[in-house]
Amino acid sequence: MTNCMDTPVDTQNAVSLRRVSKAFRHFRLDDINLDIPCGTVAGLIGPNGAGKSTTMRVMMGLINPDAGDVRVLGQPVSSREANAKQQIGYFSDDMRLYKAETIGWHMQFVSSFYSTWDDVYALKLLDRFGLIENQIVQGLSHGQRVKSLLMLVLARRPKLLILDEPTDGLDPVAKHEVLSELMQVVEDESRTILYSSQNTQDIEQICDSITFIDRGRVVAAANKDEFLERWRRIKLNVPDGWKAPSIDGVRLESSFRNLRVFSASQFQEEIIERFESNGASIEAVESMSLEEIFVSSVMRGRDEVRS
Amino acid sequence: MNTHVIRILFLKDLFLSRKYLFAYFAGGLASSILTCVPNETVSFVGFILTMTVAIASGIHLIGMLLLSESTDQTRSFVMSMPVSLLDYSISKIAVVLTTFLIPWSVMFACAMVATFVLPWAKHGGVAVLPPIFLFLLSGFLVQLVIAVISESVGWTIGVMVGCNVMLNIFMMKLFGHADVAAVTKSSVVSWPPVVLQIVTVECLICVAAIVIAFVIQTRKRDLI
Repeated sequence: MTNCMDTPVDTQNAVSLRRVSKAFRHFRLDDINLDIPCGTVAGLIGPNGAGKSTTMRVMMGLINPDAGDVRVLGQPVSSREANAKQQIGYFSDDMRLYKAETIGWHMQFVSSFYSTWDDVYALKLLDRFGLIENQIVQGLSHGQRVKSLLMLVLARRPKLLILDEPTDGLDPVAKHEVLSELMQVVEDESRTILYSSQNTQDIEQICDSITFIDRGRVVAAANKDEFLERWRRIKLNVPDGWKAPSIDGVRLESSFRNLRVFSASQFQEEIIERFESNGASIEAVESMSLEEIFVSSVMRGRDEVRS
Repeated sequence: MNTHVIRILFLKDLFLSRKYLFAYFAGGLASSILTCVPNETVSFVGFILTMTVAIASGIHLIGMLLLSESTDQTRSFVMSMPVSLLDYSISKIAVVLTTFLIPWSVMFACAMVATFVLPWAKHGGVAVLPPIFLFLLSGFLVQLVIAVISESVGWTIGVMVGCNVMLNIFMMKLFGHADVAAVTKSSVVSWPPVVLQIVTVECLICVAAIVIAFVIQTRKRDLI
């Protein structure tokens, strides 16, 4: 595992959240535990209002949690501490640049904070993203604004990148440009990236590990391959009046006439045997896409809260 | 506290407000020059314009430098960099004060000079200028406190309106005071106790407002 900290610490996690809670009037971030090992690309997936942005803001010290411990690159984070931010590149979809100034002015402004600012790389990114240094921010399209912000973040050469929905609202070409650049950043193994999105395809493309978040709670977290390997969709043909057996990690997703579709979060052959011994015949056992796993995880989390 | 970061933020805000700062400086200077013109009507118009520039600059600078970063969503961009809440607060309060104090000082100085150079002006009238200009400054600082606490354009505008109404009442009462009225008609400069008391109270309000604004800003838990 890569060490992303300058000083030796007792953890190899670039980000560590322990029992973090934050209450707002209509929303609560509830007991969040999250570890992101150094040198990995972690995805945070959740529906609108799930708490992805709030979690990331807590990591940046922009929001102070009511309870819990937040450590980023081995350092405590709060609104009073700015040291950790020296090595973090944070992008948020709701972040704006100064409208009346040029991209070049922003480059100068940001570079004055960072000794690690790479001017050559910044100019290369400008060219790659099709941006003009003298262009005033007010005239930028949404895609150009996102690319400008990403350029300003990446040229700092941060050890940790926290990207909050960077491809949200981008056209397919701009999305491809942004993701291609991020893929190159990912190749640098000393970098850690946390990437949030509602789009599971983007996450699937670049992330090693995935955390599903819904209504302020982490509902599932695992390695991407682990998710894809252990989740299965089981289609059953059942007799009239059939009653499903209760099996851990198995959830009824849909039913139509005599067809039942279940999802299994820890698929094993024993599950099939249980169904068959209960009178059902197996129609199919299929792999699930990350999106299907995400939806099922969220629904399971909501079921849990309801019960 | 990181002075390097505070300096960058301070210069950034000064740069962003350069056009308005220049406009208020020029407006303040022009109105002050009008005040010094040896014609009673023009001079009075100049004084009214001076007051207007001071009030307008206060309203605009608080809105532009303090409230707009929140509404324009540029604050999260700034706070994504290695900026602590303390650095941010110091730079904001310093820049808002500086940008207000530059035209305010010019206007105050010109008004003082005008009192001595204008042929019809009585030198004793200089005694009313510190209370009036300090009223403008303390009113501005109260608005600053409200802007910091509420981060609301509505509340801040409400307090601004209140301060401006109070300014008229204040000037009416000040000029209506027997000691002050006597002094303004005199060719000799003197400082009646009531003026000194008012100036003391205004200075205390200014200091208290700066302390309150700073303490509240640094105690905020969430920045965006």
